[in-house]
Amino acid sequence: MSLFGATSNTFGSASNSSLFGQAASTNYNAMKDIEVNSPPDDSVSCLKFSPGILPSTFLIAGSWDNNVRCWEVQQSGQTIPKAQQTHTGPILDVDWSDDGTKVFTASCDKTAKVWDLNSNQAIQIAQHDAPIKTIHWVKAPNYSCVITSSWDKTLKFWDTRTQNPILTINLPERCYCADVLYPMAVVGTASRALLIYQLENQPSEFRKFESPLKYQHRCVSVFNDRKTNSPTGFALGSIEGRVAIHYVNPQNPKDNFTFKCHRSNGTSGGMQDIYAVNDIAFHPVHGTLATVGSDGRFSFWDKDARTKLKTSEQFDQPLTACDFNAQGNIFAYASSYDWSKGHEGFDPQKMKPHIFLRSCFDELKPSSKKS
Amino acid sequence: MGRKKKKQLKPWCWYCNREFDDEKILIQHQKAKHFKCHICHKKLYTGPGLSIHCMQVHKDKVDKVPNALPGRNNTEIEIYGMEGIPEQDLKEHEKQKANKSGTKSGAQDDDDDDDDSNGLPPMPNQFMNGMPPMPTSVPGPYMPQPPMPPLPPGGMMGPMRPMGPMGPMGPMPPMGPGQMGHMGMPGPNMSMPPRPPNFMPGVPPPMPHKPAMPPQSTAAKPLFPSAAAAIQSTEVSGSPKMSTSMKPTFPAAAAITTASSSTASSISANATITGAPVIKKPESSSGLTSKLMHPDEDISLEEKRASLPKYQSLIPGKNTIQQGMPPVSRGPPPSQGNPRMRPPVPPPQGMMAMAQGMNMQGGPPMYNMPYPGSGSNFRPQQGGGRY
Repeated sequence: MSLFGATSNTFGSASNSSLFGQAASTNYNAMKDIEVNSPPDDSVSCLKFSPGILPSTFLIAGSWDNNVRCWEVQQSGQTIPKAQQTHTGPILDVDWSDDGTKVFTASCDKTAKVWDLNSNQAIQIAQHDAPIKTIHWVKAPNYSCVITSSWDKTLKFWDTRTQNPILTINLPERCYCADVLYPMAVVGTASRALLIYQLENQPSEFRKFESPLKYQHRCVSVFNDRKTNSPTGFALGSIEGRVAIHYVNPQNPKDNFTFKCHRSNGTSGGMQDIYAVNDIAFHPVHGTLATVGSDGRFSFWDKDARTKLKTSEQFDQPLTACDFNAQGNIFAYASSYDWSKGHEGFDPQKMKPHIFLRSCFDELKPSSKKS
Repeated sequence: MGRKKKKQLKPWCWYCNREFDDEKILIQHQKAKHFKCHICHKKLYTGPGLSIHCMQVHKDKVDKVPNALPGRNNTEIEIYGMEGIPEQDLKEHEKQKANKSGTKSGAQDDDDDDDDSNGLPPMPNQFMNGMPPMPTSVPGPYMPQPPMPPLPPGGMMGPMRPMGPMGPMGPMPPMGPGQMGHMGMPGPNMSMPPRPPNFMPGVPPPMPHKPAMPPQSTAAKPLFPSAAAAIQSTEVSGSPKMSTSMKPTFPAAAAITTASSSTASSISANATITGAPVIKKPESSSGLTSKLMHPDEDISLEEKRASLPKYQSLIPGKNTIQQGMPPVSRGPPPSQGNPRMRPPVPPPQGMMAMAQGMNMQGGPPMYNMPYPGSGSNFRPQQGGGRY
């Protein structure tokens, strides 16, 4: 019954009918995917689908317009705006609680909030000395907490009921990206530091890595081992159009590698433009991954076969965030300006933020080609 | 030497000495790397072909094959894959291989591996990883420099560089994708003692079969999720900077006092973004000039953006990032922290009350519908109704 399913034509055709007559620029929807209704007014910083435990699917987006929005995503591709919450500064990250009843939001206003979706109430749960870059909910057997990381060079653990953090860990630099998949947390910072934490019992630093990348860290995503279904490594993206696949304990040193992405092919006068990798998401079923970049494209990759599965057409503005829903049949991605060309590159008239939904289950199937 | 006949040498590129698993890949490599027209990017089939193409189509003289080793850039010699390689060079290559088996010449430089601007590096090849092509008497670390003189059996003194804690990784070229892994495990977890610079085993150790550094990566590396192992490893690493002292017993809410944490961070915060270093220019690979589409300062796009007045003005009492965070030494300043720290609501009870079905009416301005489900259970049943 799923229209997001493999053989759905309805999905594609639905997207062709522009409901809003908003065909402002030609390539704003380069892949002819379904647009989310009432997108944010300013750039989208993060997207998160609700956990699979809920009977329906919800999408949360954080924006530079200081708002966090929630939509219900129906299997028809229809999106219904449900609610929103506001911070006093731009939102940089969001996460869901494991039971899907709450959303945690991190903002440039140096606070984090918990948003109870049942009551539609938001309460502050965390405070940093600088904008909070990432927020993650952790449910461990013996505790649960919210982990925030900030440009104030700290990683803090909050139990959401007390005013002070239950644990503060100093970072060597400002946090630029982090991902948490219990019992593993990865933090990438300025000056290319890379730290792994283990979260069992008492969170502690597990290892400090030399970065496999030579440029500023931008996004990181932890992936599971296909067999054991426990975190085994992470994909780290940098501003230099490159992603590193890194195992914490590689069986073979060659398991770790980097690959290039989000670059122009250099046909214009031998000049190659290299763009930042803005976000990485792993497919919950196939273990393949998606990257979105400042070049305005998304790509799907199979890290095990080391092949590219698909690259999108180029959008007229950068893609800033992406996520898969829990079933792995919807790929959500946001197109909006990411400041990669500075203030000069910003045209608020043309660069309206959009969020798109793509039926993706088959496109993310691992490559069957033997290599 | 008995196995010599059986083990075929891998196809290799005469122009750059790189080895390939398959001649098809070699041909692709040559077309992309050595036979591509620098003007129109057409991929030709041979060196002479490239030369003729450039002369006839672009009136441009190409007298050197691009990306070739010195002395191997002759455009007259017609080479296609492994065909056409001068006999002499073929023999020399075989000889070299025989002497430094376990080596891979032309180590995978990932900036170099193909002309495709977006792509994953090829799968590592078991053969390359593990077994050397043939038995050898040369032990020790493997030397990536392709054109190596035959080595005397039993050791190599000359070109060997001192090996620090990186062990055999010392002389590696900087960029192989796989090798990154090793470099990613510096000092702390090394179980092998650094070897003296003049380490010269008289007996062939098991090393040549696993060129890189498997002893380090397997031994003493606990599996990740094991807590015991993790503790052990943190002890081993004992990383000096990362605040082992900062870890109170976790579940006990041994919170760092606000004062101490904010002093600590304000010190660091002051040292932040001012005078951010400039991002270095990307090295040009495959002859293309590259341009990094990112502001020159080495700060994140979000930091740059958040410092703009537009976003600043929305944040009451927030200083601009460039000026660093205000040095807060006595807890959060009253204008920022406390008023927003929701003192009016006694935390636990407040949360519980709200979680249980206080459905606030007249919700947010934009969507005047409260969150789905009006009761304690988050059940979005009223889905499509209103919109």
